[in-house]
Amino acid sequence: MADIKAPELTGEIITPKVTPGASKGIMPFKAKPELMEKVNFPAEKPSNWKELFLKKMEEILKKYRSVRVFLDECVRCGACTDKCHYFLSTGDPRNMPVHRQELMRSVYRKYFTTGGKLLGNLAGARELSDELLEEWLTYFYQCSECRRCSVFCPYGIDTAEITMAAREILDATGIGSKYNLEIINKAETIGNNLGMPGPALRNTLDFVEEEIEEKTGVPVKLPLDVEGADILLVTPSADFFAEPHVLSLEGYAKVFHQAGVNWTISSHASEGGNFGMFIGNYDHMKTINKRIWDAARDLKVKRVIAGECGHAWRVLYSFSNTLNGPFDFLDSQYRQPSHICEYTLDLIKKGAIKLDKAANDEFSVTFHDSCNVARASRMGETPGDQMTIPREIINACCNKFVDMADDTIGERTFCCGGGGGVLTDEMIDIRVKGAMPRMQALKRVKDSHDVNFFALICAICKAQFTKIFPIYGIEMEEVGGVHQLISNSIQLGAKEGV
Amino acid sequence: MNGLSTVINLLAYVTALVFVVGFLNKVILYFKTPNPLLIPTTPAPTTTMGVVARMIPEVLFFRSLLKGGTAEKVLWVGGWIFHVTFLLIVLRHLRFFTYPVPGIIMAFQGLGILAGLLFPIALLILIVRRFTNDRMAVITLFQDYFVLILIIAIGLTGLLLKYYVRTNLVDVKAFILGLLTFSPAQLPDSPIFLIHFGLVLVLLAYFPFSKLMHAWGILVSPTRAQADNPREARHVAPWAQ
Amino acid sequence: MATLDVEGKSYEVDEEGYLMDWQEWTEGVAGAMAKEDGLDLSAEHWNVIKFLRSYFEKYQIAPMIKILTKELAKEYGKEKGNTKYLYELYPAGPAKQACRYAGLPKPTGCV
Repeated sequence: MADIKAPELTGEIITPKVTPGASKGIMPFKAKPELMEKVNFPAEKPSNWKELFLKKMEEILKKYRSVRVFLDECVRCGACTDKCHYFLSTGDPRNMPVHRQELMRSVYRKYFTTGGKLLGNLAGARELSDELLEEWLTYFYQCSECRRCSVFCPYGIDTAEITMAAREILDATGIGSKYNLEIINKAETIGNNLGMPGPALRNTLDFVEEEIEEKTGVPVKLPLDVEGADILLVTPSADFFAEPHVLSLEGYAKVFHQAGVNWTISSHASEGGNFGMFIGNYDHMKTINKRIWDAARDLKVKRVIAGECGHAWRVLYSFSNTLNGPFDFLDSQYRQPSHICEYTLDLIKKGAIKLDKAANDEFSVTFHDSCNVARASRMGETPGDQMTIPREIINACCNKFVDMADDTIGERTFCCGGGGGVLTDEMIDIRVKGAMPRMQALKRVKDSHDVNFFALICAICKAQFTKIFPIYGIEMEEVGGVHQLISNSIQLGAKEGV
Repeated sequence: MNGLSTVINLLAYVTALVFVVGFLNKVILYFKTPNPLLIPTTPAPTTTMGVVARMIPEVLFFRSLLKGGTAEKVLWVGGWIFHVTFLLIVLRHLRFFTYPVPGIIMAFQGLGILAGLLFPIALLILIVRRFTNDRMAVITLFQDYFVLILIIAIGLTGLLLKYYVRTNLVDVKAFILGLLTFSPAQLPDSPIFLIHFGLVLVLLAYFPFSKLMHAWGILVSPTRAQADNPREARHVAPWAQ
Repeated sequence: MATLDVEGKSYEVDEEGYLMDWQEWTEGVAGAMAKEDGLDLSAEHWNVIKFLRSYFEKYQIAPMIKILTKELAKEYGKEKGNTKYLYELYPAGPAKQACRYAGLPKPTGCV
């Protein structure tokens, strides 16, 4: 892996020349037959795979208006062609959203439209072949489902929807991604993506408690499976394992401690993330999500709060109510999950927690909007609050904050390059490249404002940048969570504000 | 009525039927295909009224396209002028479809003619950008050129009829009104008119089976047309219970 | 299935060289993996490997990195009890390289 070279950091994002096949050959490891069967997919590609493929595709066309309409209505205007981070960094035309979609649209023409059936190649129709499958596996896994293209599309065509459908079709054909399916299997059987059993989780939480007490002298608790707690926290399991993730976990714990509430983590639902979404599989998404609501019901909590995880928040905010709602058993004020940032900012505004900004004075901070938060969910009351709330928190606990360029933040934010089920080692080449637009934008504020803290609210972003930063020549310690900044600055014990 | 007239009259009815049935078929198909999940591209409005307010500038001014860079601005100019002039030209043509012609349509004529002149220029922008940019060249398909050339041909034959090979308007109107009143009349004696009219029929017949359905698709694209209200209401599609 | 051959015995490994069955592990396996990477295993390396294995035996998962660095601190003092030092020992990442040498499965998820 030492031979991976990062693009040069110039601060500029320049649209490359089209280079066909530039990122060919970068694809995920295929899941082994035993794993495929565990998650209810065909063990391997059978001889009648074309039948399975088309059957699943037809089913999706009947079930998803998005896919049907998006396949029909694209006029190939080209507005999306230079909006994808993977195209900007590779020049591979298949990484232009419209041309990625073309991999499915050409099949759609061939088997589901009159023109394609009659005119074939002339109409841009393509027959199923092993070669096509290989291209699907390659380029539908070089999409991080970040939705940036859909912002610029005059019809709102969202490549993420097409990518999810394509992965679902591949899975139904017996071709799955090892990384994604392993995680789904662990989330469904053990309760989290890591595969961390309950006792290990308790041991980890004990350790975090010790850490906090050592550093602050205050016995902040991280309760597990406490029945009758007010709040159930669901956070990505990476928070129990990786750095800097765990530092945000300390932050949440301190916020709850200071708010004086009873809260708990659940060993049954010790995962906020939901990789069922990444592979476009409704049943897996629902099954994984259901663990959270079962836990909430069993533990008799009043409300559910989500930790720092982008796609988890999309599933919790946008899909939960559909998948496993309604949640009548929760407190009538909090029938829907809240984001930890909403919760913390509310406490800050009420004066219930006190922050010492000087504690973060060594940092010049910028904030990276995670795609699933920015373009696929909301926080707060007003559309767009998902951008302002984390920034308000940072400004409340830091003296130095600066935003990156306008066309790289908010709804136009660039993906970290590792989202959507791409965050696996065999994809490292495309991950390093895909981070390029974000890194260029960061480079500019590093030059202008000496930024040395890259604040995030997503476990994937944190893992991705921790890995990518050193390759770009930046210290991995500059990656951190928003609640890590809270953790640094929160005044424990001083409760006069409550 | 001669044989050619009979054929063209018949073709016109068949085409109209194909267009209407084909279009409605897609409308019903999209309507029947559920949205299992809420997937608006956010930040998105949280109410239906908000969605309407979001959609109006999308439909009338291609708002999302304006978020892009220079290439999209050029496309916007070409695309917007094309759509607006197309609309004006269609409105101007209503004088051939109505008797007596309402005053408002007569008032349109000057604007309609101006539109007729801008129309091919806009289309030229749309076609040139398809082969002068390496990304556009890769994504452009045969049908993209086909439909552009088809519409250019319709526009140019229209201009020919207006300025060079003037046709007897009384005959044209008799023919069109004949079609509309189901009392078929003689086709005007003008090869250019025949081509112009024939190409319009091709366009209509092609419409429901092509990307031109974006005209309807834009209104039902879930990323734009859904309200972002999962907290306020439970969204459930029948198959996903 | 790929294999790793150590002292005449063949071990099943996955695409990235992780042992398929963690219980098959021997010190020879760790040594062979390190040799392939051109790494000489020092006492510190072995300490990490042994800690990982004992933690895994108890909890069926590798420990959080911080738990590991704290263990190092206990053993070798503060200057070696940190993530940086762990990366010096295992440049490809403590979780991934050290876990592999220890015969443990690769940690999954957003890590």
